[in-house]
Amino acid sequence: MSYKCSRCKRDVQLDEYGGVRCPYCGHRVLLKERSRDVKEVDVN
Amino acid sequence: MSAEYDVEFVEREDRDARFLVQGITPAFANGIRRAMLADVPTMAIDTVRFVENSSVMFDEQLALRLGLVPLTTPPVGEFVEDDTVTLSIDVEGPATAYSGDLVSSDDLVQPADENVPIIDLKDGQRLEAEADAVLDRGKDHAKHQGGVAVGYRHLQRVAAVEDLPEFEEPDRRIVRGVIEEDGELVPTSEFDHDLSNRYPGQEVTLEDVPNSFVFHVETDGSFSVEELVTRAADTIESRATELENAVQL
Amino acid sequence: MELRVTESSETELSIEIAGEDHTFMNVLKGTLLEHDDVSAATYDVNPEQSGGQTEPILTVKTESGVDPLDALEEAAVDVREKAVAFREAFEAAA
Repeated sequence: MSYKCSRCKRDVQLDEYGGVRCPYCGHRVLLKERSRDVKEVDVN
Repeated sequence: MSAEYDVEFVEREDRDARFLVQGITPAFANGIRRAMLADVPTMAIDTVRFVENSSVMFDEQLALRLGLVPLTTPPVGEFVEDDTVTLSIDVEGPATAYSGDLVSSDDLVQPADENVPIIDLKDGQRLEAEADAVLDRGKDHAKHQGGVAVGYRHLQRVAAVEDLPEFEEPDRRIVRGVIEEDGELVPTSEFDHDLSNRYPGQEVTLEDVPNSFVFHVETDGSFSVEELVTRAADTIESRATELENAVQL
Repeated sequence: MELRVTESSETELSIEIAGEDHTFMNVLKGTLLEHDDVSAATYDVNPEQSGGQTEPILTVKTESGVDPLDALEEAAVDVREKAVAFREAFEAAA
C-alpha cells in the first residue's frame, strides 16, 4: 500500500508494526495514493 | 398499392435540412421520425480504461462525457454490432482536454467535432485513457442517437385572403414552418414568422395540406442528413421484410 | 421479430410481435387500415396493463372470406414498398 505524507509530501510505505506515522517527519496524516492499475469503466 | 412520394428540399446543409414530403401518411411520417431518433445505429464510446486520471472529476463522470462525444459512423456494411474501435486520449495540464484530442485507431471513426470540451486540467493534472467505441441504437442509449432535432409540420397553404376593415388594427399572425404560395415553398423565417408582414392590411386563413409534411432534420455529426434519412427508411424496410418472412412460415 | 398468435378465428387475428414498438406498429396498423378488406386493425403495447407484458399485440379484423394473416402479409409488403419508395424519392431529391 502506498501513501503520501500530507506534510512532507514524501511517499510512505506502511507496515504492520509502525502504526500510522510518517517515518521521515513523524506526521500522522497520510493520504492514500490512487492505484496504478488501469481502471475499466462502463459508460452508462 | 405502391405509394408515390415526392420529396423537395427547402433548406439544406450537411447536418441540418428541411424537406417537404408529399403523399405521406401521418403514420408513416411518424415512423420515419421515430426511426431516425431511435433506430439508426451510431458509434459511441462504451467502455473506458483509465490509465491516469488526476483531474478533479471521477472516472465515471469522465467516462459519461466521453460516451456523449459524437463520433462519425462508418458507411453501412463496414461495421456490425459488437465491432469495436479503440480511441485514446492523453492530455496533461495546464490545458483543456477536447474531443479533438481523441486519437482513433480507425479513420472512419473520428470525433465529429474537435471542440467538445471534456475537462479542464490544472497544472500537474493528467488524463490518460483508452476507450472502446461500439455501434448501437438510440433506443438503447441516447449517446447512440444520430438525429438530435428531428420533427415535422404540416405544409400550410393560404386558403383565403380578405382585406381588413379600413380602420382595424392589424393583429400579428404567427405561423412556423413552411407555407405554400402559388406552388412556391416559403419558409416562414423569410417574413419573421408573421403573416401580417407578408400580407399587410389583409386577413389570411391558412390550412394544412393533407399528407404533406415538412421535415426538419438535424444530426449530431455522426453522418449527414441524407444518410440518417435513408438509414431510417432502411430500418423500417428491414423490419417489414422480416415480418413478411415470419408471416409466410 | 418473433410472432406468437394469441387469438385466431376466421376473420379475426391477435398476434404478438415481439421486439417492436410504436415506430413499426403504428406504421403497420396505418397500412392495414388502408386495405379495403380490413374492417378493423389496432395494436396495444401494454395489453390489459398486464404485469410485465409489454410486447405489442396486433389485432386485425377482416371482411368475411379474407384470411387476416393474408391481410397482414400484404400489409408487410406494403410497408416495405413504402419504405423503398420513400427512400428512392428522397435520394432522387437529394
